[in-house]
Amino acid sequence: MAQEVSRRSFLKLAAAAGAAATVPGCHPAARHLVPYVVPDENVTPGLPSFYATTCAECPAGCAVVARVREGRVTKLEGNPIDPIGAGALCARGQAALQELYNPDRLAAPRRREADGRSTPLSWQTALGEFNAQMKAAAAAGKDRVLYIGQPQGPTLRKITEAWLRAYNSQRLIAFEAINYQALTDAAQRCFNRQDRPVYQLDAAEVIVSFGADFLETYLSPVEYTRQFAAFRAPRATGAQTAMGLALYVGPRMNLTAANSDEWIAARPGTEGAVAMAVLRAVVDAGALGSSSGLDATALRQFTTGYEPEAIAKHSGVPAAAIRRIAQRLGQARGAVALAAADDLTGQVAAMLLNAVTGNLGGTMKFIDAPDLTRASSRGEVAAAIKAMHDGAVDVLVVAGVNPVFALPPELATVQAMRRVKLVVWAGWVPDETAEFAHLMLPIDHPLESWDDVAPRPGVARLRQPVTRRVFDSLALGDLLLESVALAGASPPPVAWKDTQEALKAAWREIQTRVAPSTSFDEFWTKALSEGGIFAEPKTASVTISPNALGEAPKLDAPAEESLALASFPHIFLYDGRGADKPWLQEVPEPVAQIVWDNWAEIHPDTARRLNVEQGQVVEIASRHGRLAVAAHLSPRLHPQAIAIPIGQGHLAYGRYASGRGANPWQVLPAGRLVAAVEVRPTERRVKLVSPLAPPSMLEQPVVKALSLDELRRGVVPQETEPYPEPYEMYDPYTYPKHEWGMTIDLNACTGCSACVAACYAENNVPVVGKELVAEGRIMSWIRIERYWPETPEAPLMMKMPMLCQQCGHAPCEPVCPVFAAYRTDEGLNGQVYNRCVGTRYCSNNCPYKVRRFNWYKPEWPHPLQLQLNPDVSVRGAGVMEKCTFCIQRIRFAEMQALTGQQPLVDGTIVPACAQACPARAITFGDMKQATSAMMSRRKLHALRNYRALDEDLNTQPGIVYLRGIYREHGEV
Amino acid sequence: MAQAPEAAYSKADGAQAFADVTYGDIDHEVLRLLQPPGRKYWYGFAFLVALVVVGGTTWLRQIYIGLGVTGLTMPSMWAIYIADFVFWVGIAHSGTLISAILYLFRTRWRTAVYRAAEAMTVFAVITAGLFPLIHLGRVWFFYWLLPYPNERWLQPDFRSPLVWDTFAVGTYLTVSTTFLLMGMVPDVAAAREASSGWRRKLYAVFSLGWQGSEEQWRHFSMVYLLLAGLATPLVLSVHSVVSFDFAMAQVPGWHSTIFPPYFVAGAIFSGVAMVITLLIPMRRWLKLERLLTPWHFDNLAKVILLTSLIITYAYIVEAFLAWYSGDVFERTTFYMRYFGPYGPLAWIMVACNCVGPLFLFSPRIRTNMVALFIISIGVNIGMWLERFVIIAGSLTTNFMPSQWGFYRPSITEILITLGSFGWFLMWFTLFSRHLPVISMTEIKEGIAWHKKALQREDAKAA
Repeated sequence: MAQEVSRRSFLKLAAAAGAAATVPGCHPAARHLVPYVVPDENVTPGLPSFYATTCAECPAGCAVVARVREGRVTKLEGNPIDPIGAGALCARGQAALQELYNPDRLAAPRRREADGRSTPLSWQTALGEFNAQMKAAAAAGKDRVLYIGQPQGPTLRKITEAWLRAYNSQRLIAFEAINYQALTDAAQRCFNRQDRPVYQLDAAEVIVSFGADFLETYLSPVEYTRQFAAFRAPRATGAQTAMGLALYVGPRMNLTAANSDEWIAARPGTEGAVAMAVLRAVVDAGALGSSSGLDATALRQFTTGYEPEAIAKHSGVPAAAIRRIAQRLGQARGAVALAAADDLTGQVAAMLLNAVTGNLGGTMKFIDAPDLTRASSRGEVAAAIKAMHDGAVDVLVVAGVNPVFALPPELATVQAMRRVKLVVWAGWVPDETAEFAHLMLPIDHPLESWDDVAPRPGVARLRQPVTRRVFDSLALGDLLLESVALAGASPPPVAWKDTQEALKAAWREIQTRVAPSTSFDEFWTKALSEGGIFAEPKTASVTISPNALGEAPKLDAPAEESLALASFPHIFLYDGRGADKPWLQEVPEPVAQIVWDNWAEIHPDTARRLNVEQGQVVEIASRHGRLAVAAHLSPRLHPQAIAIPIGQGHLAYGRYASGRGANPWQVLPAGRLVAAVEVRPTERRVKLVSPLAPPSMLEQPVVKALSLDELRRGVVPQETEPYPEPYEMYDPYTYPKHEWGMTIDLNACTGCSACVAACYAENNVPVVGKELVAEGRIMSWIRIERYWPETPEAPLMMKMPMLCQQCGHAPCEPVCPVFAAYRTDEGLNGQVYNRCVGTRYCSNNCPYKVRRFNWYKPEWPHPLQLQLNPDVSVRGAGVMEKCTFCIQRIRFAEMQALTGQQPLVDGTIVPACAQACPARAITFGDMKQATSAMMSRRKLHALRNYRALDEDLNTQPGIVYLRGIYREHGEV
Repeated sequence: MAQAPEAAYSKADGAQAFADVTYGDIDHEVLRLLQPPGRKYWYGFAFLVALVVVGGTTWLRQIYIGLGVTGLTMPSMWAIYIADFVFWVGIAHSGTLISAILYLFRTRWRTAVYRAAEAMTVFAVITAGLFPLIHLGRVWFFYWLLPYPNERWLQPDFRSPLVWDTFAVGTYLTVSTTFLLMGMVPDVAAAREASSGWRRKLYAVFSLGWQGSEEQWRHFSMVYLLLAGLATPLVLSVHSVVSFDFAMAQVPGWHSTIFPPYFVAGAIFSGVAMVITLLIPMRRWLKLERLLTPWHFDNLAKVILLTSLIITYAYIVEAFLAWYSGDVFERTTFYMRYFGPYGPLAWIMVACNCVGPLFLFSPRIRTNMVALFIISIGVNIGMWLERFVIIAGSLTTNFMPSQWGFYRPSITEILITLGSFGWFLMWFTLFSRHLPVISMTEIKEGIAWHKKALQREDAKAA
């Protein structure tokens, strides 16, 4: 049935996206189903259509392309013309589909009755009630309506402002739990600018991060991961080989630290002080850039109290290390310092460091354009909540955000909401805030909406509906515009009937500015089909503000002797919004490799002192509140730190989120992710589940690395004596046309796991849940092998995407009694699901353990099944499955070539993992074609080539890994 | 049947075994068991059927829900089911050893025990044969493992040891069943004469029209000899093929050339232990003390002792190979077998298989039914654990350290394993009171020899 509806619904999509794109000025999106009697010329059943839109999962705003099959969107991929994402998409972006198709999404408007239960009601009643209350509020006085929503694009913001104005109010809060206020405040202070800087990591030789986790969540992780990979790529060859040097200062070895050359453990909250001390050391060393416009005496004055020796005691970072960082920063041609999102001291110091080392306008720059999307400051949010407390708000509309979950306890948001006459919650999956709402309205998901987005200055993006509405929802903009009309002001404050019209009006303005010579239709069609306008933004020339070196920021770290909570946004769950998406719960957090939970990382020494064991629930109390969470012992943490990822601890927010772990926002102060805490063990225990066994590599690592020195000298470490030439019993296979292969650069790979999420999305890989992962029944076809090296002469963390190696001598093939596992004539290990009888012998014999068995019949709660890729079979119980190199994409490209649609050239076929990879670590291609990008990459890095376990087992994998490169300790 | 040179049988105790047994005694002792059994027997039988029903229901549930109901998981894709399979195939081996190989060697003591051992073989094979099916993810397609004509010319992959297994076990079942039924013909004919009603009709069918004529005896002897010859290589080949399931894979701890002899010795070891385990209670409950004498058990115990020493040697060689290979995976797997999570099981295995049987060097223990029973039960446990430790232990310590795991059986595997014991014992119980459990013909043939040997002993003494 779902199939039938979605097939019909294709026309809706065509009408919404296609027609709107090509026939502008027409009526809005068609609301009626049209039978397939007269097929739309844009639709060929069985062939995908692609629509450009913009990702809404984090403030970075990567442009994405939605793949649509028969009217339903099945996959999101990065838009290659976008300079931010550059065609890649992180795990969070991939999982946006699971919000769209979330089985717990609000299906219809609901009203909360007096007894606390909610009952469904019609849109008409709901809106009638809403608008009546709005009128009453407007009549009661000024500013009695409060809107709290996500930071909006220019058009939606205009609509919202107009709507508030129509009801006599100006209270608009653009709520981001992690709002980068420290960054804008520091920019204001140092450069007198209201916008945030943009970093150019690949222009640097040295990166020093004072707690900025730019490979996980900081600002624009896809962009920075790509830049970081370029920064880490070996430049030049032979003895001149150079590679960017990355240093990380912070309490926890997170993904960014683990991918750096050195992780310098600092006490939580002291990263900013360390940055100040580094600034001091730079000044002391006389390494001031000539162009910085800063005077050494003033800087010395400014950094008084931040002498490396003083800070060494405060932060636990040795003064020698501080001086070393300063020296590295000062000497580099191109360096960049970054600081944590919540750390004003650090941001000021980092910006000054970038300025004094002459990197302003290079590795750190500002864009010469207005910042159209600003999150409200902490003060604005606090004032709004206070207004609620004071009874000055009659109607509160919360749209797409979850303040009850993410606001600090000191604001007492829930009590404030109780004082509001009508709380309207508009969103997708009902969350904690919805629990306190009187009226709940389902609104369109960003993938169902018209919108424009300006994630940062100089960037203008469009959002268009890429699928028919999954539930009975309305566009937020339309809903507000309707409400404006009902306010009955004359003349009407806005001229637009709906969001789409408003959007076009706004973009007509843009057109007159950027492309006055083209017609609007032409401009609009191009912008819509590309997802926005992609012009290189102009760099602003900035100078140091005279106020920059005013009063030095104060030390704001918790007391030196106390334990301190260092919470951090979970790479997938972010501030908590990711928790309702099963892919994001099931893909292991890349460093701890834990799924479906959160945890308190505790240093083993501290744990011994506190008498805490792995998995034991500890109660953590700060001045602001308390929580209980399972302990995870990890030596990769400052002994005084307790690190808890943010994102879990939901009490509502759907079946996948609720009742897991604890919510660190409950113990945090406003605007800071650090707090002094006390830790007390409890009797309870929680099993923290990881799909990886406890780390150990034996003596022979599967993940191999090479030191920079070895790379310069051109030698590869020899671990074992070479094996004799293997004896072949059978004739070698021949591959008449293609032999597919892959090259994976372990030096580029950061372990971010975007590939894992992309594989779930592309290949209909079922999600199994915490209990089954604990039983070892995770189904992912690709995983990140993560090992902690046992010797110091190695990378800090070793990681390796592990997927089917498509062995030339596949151990899985000859053991299958029924030829379900067989060799294809294109060099793949075929797996015929329909032929498989389930002996599981192939899995036993697979040394890489990449085969997955369907222990149960997989299930997708409605409507999650609408996301399934129709090109990939859904596997039933009792059969084996594994990575196929996205054979559906290979076949599709081969068919296209056969029918003359598109020639099959190198790069036409991109498997989902390679497509998603922000670091561009994965290249796919034909091993028979020596000039393919994949083979060239192997050749270019011949020294770093290796095949996993091949020399032990002669499996002849089709995947060649390029060893990761590390610096010997002496060189850091 | 041809008589072997008497010099081969000079053991006094062996000679005395049937000293005062007459032909009539033998007929009486064996044929009385074919009377309708009593209530106790049927209670016991009902209990075994109940076990089978429980196991079968559990299997149906597993088919319906999926293999998720078992404890099987990555990386231990095989575990108890395959251990059960190898265990039961192993049990099957001693039957053929005793009935075929010892027949060709004219070993006198086999006559009283071979029928029960052979029946045990057949029942063990039909039990073993269930496990490859139980363990399949999609058992309804089990016939895809067989070569049969089909429109797409899809055939099984003959490189796969599982296909070899299908043939090996299939062949073994056919030959051992034929061998059992053929060897029983004269005895069943005797039973036919002594019974009435439906039993008589049943025995008439099984006796294949046996009249005891000269001609029939001549043909019977030749067929029996040929079948023994045919069955003899199977004793070695079937378990070698079963061991290929492991040896042909490249899993560390499996991939080893010593597996075929190691497994064959283990099979005979466990099989003979199972014969003792079954015969001791049977001897007592069916009051067969006159025909099953300590002399027989003494000889069975010696087989156990010999194979135990071979097994111990194999364990040592395995350890040596792991060390000598220098291969880190092989070494780790071996180390983890004894000191990893399954270490305690491995040490119980060593105690049961290597240490326990050493007591059999003492002739007193070899003829002490209680001690023998305990040791043989120990060997059964030890050999089951050996298979489990080899399978689950090796799989969980594989090439990919991040994918190491631990296998813990669920109630499903436990119930199905219990069900398999119920199934095996059900058939054996049925056999014990419905077909001649001891070969009357061959014991009668032997009595003359026993008498002569005894006279010789007396003469010597005088």
